[in-house]
Amino acid sequence: MTAITENKPAYDGQALDLTGKSGARAFKNTLATVLIVLAFLIAMIPLLWILGTVISKGYHLLLNADWWSQSQRGITVRRQGGGAYHAIMGTLIMSLITALIAVPIAVLGAVYLVEYGKGTRAARVVSFMIDILTGVPSIVAALFIYAVWITIFGFNRVGFAVSLSLVLLMLPVVLRSTEEMLKLVPDELREASYALGVPKWKTIMKVVVPTAFGGIVTGVMLGLARVMGETAPLLILVGYSKNINLNPFNGFMGALPTMINQDRTELALQPAADRVWAAALTLILLVLVLNVLARLVARFSAIKSK
Amino acid sequence: MSVNRLLRVGSVAVASLGVLALSACGSDPEPSGSSSPGSSTSSAGAECPQGTLNAEGSSAQKNAIDEVISKYNEKCADVTVNYNPTGSGAGVKQFNANQVDFAGSDSALKPDEMTAATKRCGGNPAIDLPMVIGPVAIAINVDGVDKFVLDGPTAAKIFQGTIKTWNDPAIAKLNPGVTFPSAPISVFFRSDESGTTENFTKYLKASGGGAWTGEPAKKWTGTGAGKEKSAGVAEGVKSTKNSITYVEWSYAVDNKLTIAQIDNGSGTPIELTADSAGKALAAAQPAGTGSDLALKLDYATKAAGAYPIILVTYEIACTKGLPAEKTALVKSFLSYFVSKDGQASLTDLNYAPLPAEIQTKVDAAIQAIS
Repeated sequence: MTAITENKPAYDGQALDLTGKSGARAFKNTLATVLIVLAFLIAMIPLLWILGTVISKGYHLLLNADWWSQSQRGITVRRQGGGAYHAIMGTLIMSLITALIAVPIAVLGAVYLVEYGKGTRAARVVSFMIDILTGVPSIVAALFIYAVWITIFGFNRVGFAVSLSLVLLMLPVVLRSTEEMLKLVPDELREASYALGVPKWKTIMKVVVPTAFGGIVTGVMLGLARVMGETAPLLILVGYSKNINLNPFNGFMGALPTMINQDRTELALQPAADRVWAAALTLILLVLVLNVLARLVARFSAIKSK
Repeated sequence: MSVNRLLRVGSVAVASLGVLALSACGSDPEPSGSSSPGSSTSSAGAECPQGTLNAEGSSAQKNAIDEVISKYNEKCADVTVNYNPTGSGAGVKQFNANQVDFAGSDSALKPDEMTAATKRCGGNPAIDLPMVIGPVAIAINVDGVDKFVLDGPTAAKIFQGTIKTWNDPAIAKLNPGVTFPSAPISVFFRSDESGTTENFTKYLKASGGGAWTGEPAKKWTGTGAGKEKSAGVAEGVKSTKNSITYVEWSYAVDNKLTIAQIDNGSGTPIELTADSAGKALAAAQPAGTGSDLALKLDYATKAAGAYPIILVTYEIACTKGLPAEKTALVKSFLSYFVSKDGQASLTDLNYAPLPAEIQTKVDAAIQAIS
């Protein structure tokens, strides 16, 4: 990039001439451009297809205020009506608890890896474990929590157990992104702070983390988006309820992925099929809203370099 | 950036999430218009406890229990009943693991399951309560055939794979005047372990005249291509010409498939109706001990007008040993399920209601729960 812009003045005036004559290079250039654009378009096909299908089949229920404010209590697959309030709330509550547990651990872990543990054996072990955790499939995380929560402790299946297993999935995502963000903070900032006699912990609190804040928030939001659509923990660790249940420590709880799963077996019936598409669209919208929020937070909290 | 700034940004993020969450204070939908305004307001207040009941199990009875829950809530608005249709096996497991208050199952408790269930109920036996009859349809998709007759041996041969084409003489003999294509028969079966498969193979074994060689089981041992769940096999037949499957009645109807009439040996082909399925249950023998109401179905019944391929789905509950408030809930809900009102709502959904004498027995067993 820089090479081209720097060279440009030198060839000024002759540039047109050159490209005109060198047919082979022009051809290669065109070919590569076409291939890249083609690859891009092919990659876009499934995305647009999914979005188009989900939006066109799901939007009309979302326009109804009931969808956002009512549960499915008393609504069977043959009946129109009701909403996704119970499932939206369930998804939000479980994700929020997940974030409350996972984010402090992840951020503190990343601070340790970058600021304190650099090069130590402990840091290498932690880093390696996080790599392993990244590769753990959601079903394994869910079964692990099932074994601990239900088989060993004998508790019931509740929303909180789902949150616990989602923590295992969210933790590595947030930790890795936070770690990268902290690494990007220039050492000069730290050194300047130390030079003024500021202790290390205060430097981290007031200089390093605030500098990386936008990136950390983006990582958290991406982690949330990742766990919101998880289905396996929901299937194993909590029963689906069509009723509103806002208590994550007691009883069955609805969530958007399980709401989709519940009505999926009855696609021959129009009311059920409509709800499946609408719930899918709602889930996509929730994740989209989170991502937009992440962008906004990242933008407004960015350190302005004057 | 100061801590203040941090707090501000953080609180903005939290607040916006909170606003998103709480912008609409959610509620339950109004009960559907079918109930008259007078009757919905605590007409039977004395019988209505309060609380939440969690149940799990058979997907074959999902539509039935959903409908009954909906109707029950018109009567008892303060009770929340959750039913998770994860399958009979899962339901029994969750019940025995003390995760749900009662289970739905397509087959009665096996001896070892009963041992575990007794332990879960604090040393008191669990009970199988027959609640819904789910007829199993043999559904086909053949161009130009909208009336189709099968008998046990022919069905067994088709699903075993010994009859391979539609123009087989055995099929032609049962369907005089109907022309079948010479195309091969594509059989679809349930790839998941299913109570439907178990009951259907019991029928094939009992009335197939030796043509069905496998043992009845939840896992399919015949020919064909596997599809997941009832929705899968129904969709498979709908989208494939010259295909056949076995599936719960409601799925065959919802997908507008041709349903075979069954010649059970009585001489006349029997159409699948709520009535003909109920007649087959009348031929069933009690199999449980004591107050247990498990039934042994007679799949080889030759009774006139009895449609033989049915499955009975049970609710499995503790006879004693649940906490008092749960006991009240279980009794209240299950006795509504077995009542005339509860059973009457099932016919529209392609289930068959229990015959009156079995309703009485089940109700008595529910009242005995303490």
